[in-house]
Amino acid sequence: MDYKYIEQLLERYWECQTTREEETILRNFFRQEDVPASLLPYRQLFIEEDEMANEHLSEDFQNRMLRLVGEEAPIQVCKARRLTFMRRLRPLYRAAGLVAIMLTIGNAAYQSFSEEDAVAPQMAESVSADSLQHITIGSPEQQSASLTAQPTDTLDTFSR
Amino acid sequence: MDNISFRTTVLPLGDRLFRLALRITMNRAEAEDVVQDTLLKVWEQRSQWEQIDNLEAFAIATCRNRALDIAKRAGRNTKSLDEVETSHLTPLTSQPSLEAREQLSLVRRLMDDLPEVQRTIMLLRDIEGKTYQEIAEALGISETQVKVYLHRARTKIKKWIINI
Repeated sequence: MDYKYIEQLLERYWECQTTREEETILRNFFRQEDVPASLLPYRQLFIEEDEMANEHLSEDFQNRMLRLVGEEAPIQVCKARRLTFMRRLRPLYRAAGLVAIMLTIGNAAYQSFSEEDAVAPQMAESVSADSLQHITIGSPEQQSASLTAQPTDTLDTFSR
Repeated sequence: MDNISFRTTVLPLGDRLFRLALRITMNRAEAEDVVQDTLLKVWEQRSQWEQIDNLEAFAIATCRNRALDIAKRAGRNTKSLDEVETSHLTPLTSQPSLEAREQLSLVRRLMDDLPEVQRTIMLLRDIEGKTYQEIAEALGISETQVKVYLHRARTKIKKWIINI
């Protein structure tokens, strides 16, 4: 691997000619384990600077300072959101909507089953009544025809 | 300035100021005291913030002055890097051993033995990632001076690293 670019950057670093971005490149390069032997002596400087960047104040410092200036210490971090009255009722609307949908579906299903049950016996009744009429008496036209035809034949027979 | 609060405006400066104070006082407890005093002073002057161009630069300057006062009172001063004994150091190997770890802390000690202004500039540039302009503003010197001091500090460190 060619380390010429890193070597050039390093030379410019010592001369204070590198930009902050170029210094970040150098820092990232020296963070890796497999640094060539020629550049290895410089690694300790960048690693040490990394460690120094991780030095922080003690944990209770923040709360101590907040107490000193009279601001409350953060007990729990949570984002507060302003809820309008309508928004607070939103779960209720959802529940009511769900109930309304269930009722509509239930009602529609009940009605369709009820109509089918109501129509089926009526049809069966009319069909059976017609059939009985045909079988026992015959149609009304047939009845009147038979009643009128019989006397005529009888008169004809007597007139002859 | 509207919607300012200690928590969101001043407190986030704490860690950066702590690292600066620590490199000057060389003592964690003292460094925390310096940061506490600095943050309180910055907060007490909030009515004048509009007259301050760069609040962080103002905080860094305040922190540095307080830390220097404490260091002087404690009799701590910076020695030249040339005075530091480096003959017993050996180069780092690729696998960081216990010996290598000790060397890392020696690098830190050598950095800490730089003259204060060089050490502070190196910290602000290499660890805090400040621009030359920001450093110049915080220390009240020119950008050219910042580069001169930084160059001296880096040259000394390089010389030490090459000689081991």
